[in-house]
Amino acid sequence: MPPSATSVSRIIHRAWRGTPLGLGIVIMCSSLGLAVFGPVIAPYDPQIPVSAAAEPPPRLRDLAPLILKSLQGRLANPVHWFGTDDSGLDIFSRVIAAPRVDVLIALAATGLSLGAGTLLGLIAGYYSNWMTEALTRASDVIQSFPLFILAMVLVALTGRNVGNIIVTLAVLFIPVYLRLTRAQVLSERTRNYVEAARATGNRELVIALRHVLPNSLAPSLIQAPITIGAAILQTAGISFVGAGVRPPTPEWGIMIASSANSIILGEWWPSVFPGLAISLTVLGYALVGNALENRYG
Amino acid sequence: MQLFVYILRRLLTVAVQVASILLAIFFLIRMLPADPVARLVGSFATPEIYAHTKAALHLDKPLLTQLAIYLGLFPRAVGPGLLQGDLGRSWVTSSPVSQEIWQFLPITLELITLSFVVACVLAIPMGILAALKPNGLLDRGVFSFSLFAGAQPDFWWGLIFIYFFYFVWRLAPAPLGHLAPLTVAPPVVTGFPLLDALLTGRPDVSLEALHHLMLPVVTMAFIVSGPIVKMVRQNVIRALQSNYILYARACGLSQFHIAAYTFRNAFAPTLTIIAVLYGYMWGGAVLVEQVFSLGGLGQYALRSILAFDYPAIQGVVLTITIGSLLIYLAMDILHSVADPRIVNSR
Repeated sequence: MPPSATSVSRIIHRAWRGTPLGLGIVIMCSSLGLAVFGPVIAPYDPQIPVSAAAEPPPRLRDLAPLILKSLQGRLANPVHWFGTDDSGLDIFSRVIAAPRVDVLIALAATGLSLGAGTLLGLIAGYYSNWMTEALTRASDVIQSFPLFILAMVLVALTGRNVGNIIVTLAVLFIPVYLRLTRAQVLSERTRNYVEAARATGNRELVIALRHVLPNSLAPSLIQAPITIGAAILQTAGISFVGAGVRPPTPEWGIMIASSANSIILGEWWPSVFPGLAISLTVLGYALVGNALENRYG
Repeated sequence: MQLFVYILRRLLTVAVQVASILLAIFFLIRMLPADPVARLVGSFATPEIYAHTKAALHLDKPLLTQLAIYLGLFPRAVGPGLLQGDLGRSWVTSSPVSQEIWQFLPITLELITLSFVVACVLAIPMGILAALKPNGLLDRGVFSFSLFAGAQPDFWWGLIFIYFFYFVWRLAPAPLGHLAPLTVAPPVVTGFPLLDALLTGRPDVSLEALHHLMLPVVTMAFIVSGPIVKMVRQNVIRALQSNYILYARACGLSQFHIAAYTFRNAFAPTLTIIAVLYGYMWGGAVLVEQVFSLGGLGQYALRSILAFDYPAIQGVVLTITIGSLLIYLAMDILHSVADPRIVNSR
């Protein structure tokens, strides 16, 4: 029996509504995949120059035959799909090797700040004494700082390596999760199940960790993809101005910075492709975050 | 009277917040492992020069003593400090930090203010129109735009705009500063180049400054319009669901009238988000300023951070913090005036 028109139109409608989330998940998984496998599948080494001068990417009309030839294995050297920059580095290899730095920093920083922020938020919301008040005020102070400038200060003054960037971003994002969790905990701790748990003889700490915390995590988990996107933008931003990762590490911000001077001479390809990568990746995480917010927010 | 007490209490809170941020940044940068003395004297300096410089910068003294010197608690012995209104001297240029900030801040303020005006003029009507028909075509388009714009790297878009508007279409000037390199800056009256050029009778310089600000303003307005559209749309949708709007519809008021009524009530939370964004942009304009070489506060902060210039870093953080907090206070006061429930409920 052929499917009725109603069910087909319902399927199409649901697919159309789910497209942004689908796209976001595809982008998210690609970024994770490239973070793991990027430097391995790159045609050239991301940190070794392979050409004498900047070469533009292949023209659009040469693209199809080139793809065919490279699939058949008839090319002597791999194609510079995105061209090369002024130092002779292959841009395609660097763009797909960069997620190992950018996305990893963003995931690690978000994971750390999520873990620490929710625990601190739980303590700040569940127990109300002068210490938790001081904790909340300290978190407010951190949040009142100009974010980008504080990130630059912390990274520049502690040493510009990946570990410090992760810790800096984690510290800067903790107040976000602390505030979200604390607000949720404040409303959860008056609920009946907390009283019931207390009546059956559980210790306060056990109640907080086993009962209140899982019910207070929702806003923080919804915020997580947005924080990942913000962390990628921050990393690229501070690397762009020279206060972040050190060259020649492949990282989208540094790639844009090193070719920013040549864009007014007409060499658009070293700056455009890394920026497109940042733009797409952060958009993907934003789409996932938006879908989560619509479903669970 | 109630409003006056409210403002006074808020000013006290602002003072406490500024003091805590100042202390935080002061101790933070001195506890981090960076060595500003080595950065200043270079790698060929003798140990005597190193020790002499370190003593001259007071970095060999205990932290609390350094704080006391910075605050100006020993004016006769060491010199004026924060309590006398002196932000110290830059370790790189030796000019007073307050003078340098006074020189660079107006350019940033021009950039941010113009960008916000452009963004609000475009984003607020878009948000209202989108909210009037939720899930309609315009609404979906506007929401996608807001999601897209909020996820963009502003420095990259600045470069893209430079490529198209300067290199390809020759519409914009070269990104070499807030005025052309050969133009003499107007004499300082207010500190704002746009106003100074007009006040001293050189409107051509004013036009040139506007021309140079064109691309940075477009870049910033594009990025900032994302969150503004999102918030306006959200607030208007929420306001449209209230009972008084239902009553207005039942009375047969036109869509235009309903939109006007809703906007007045959705105005307050929108103003809050615009104020928060504006305050955030004081420190967030660094990237756009760097790309276009505008010479604003953000670039000054960047240079100070990379050179480990502690008094300049402290001065910039203090300025940005005070500026943002005063803006939030001004918005809260406006909010209280627009919505009397806030003041009366305290």
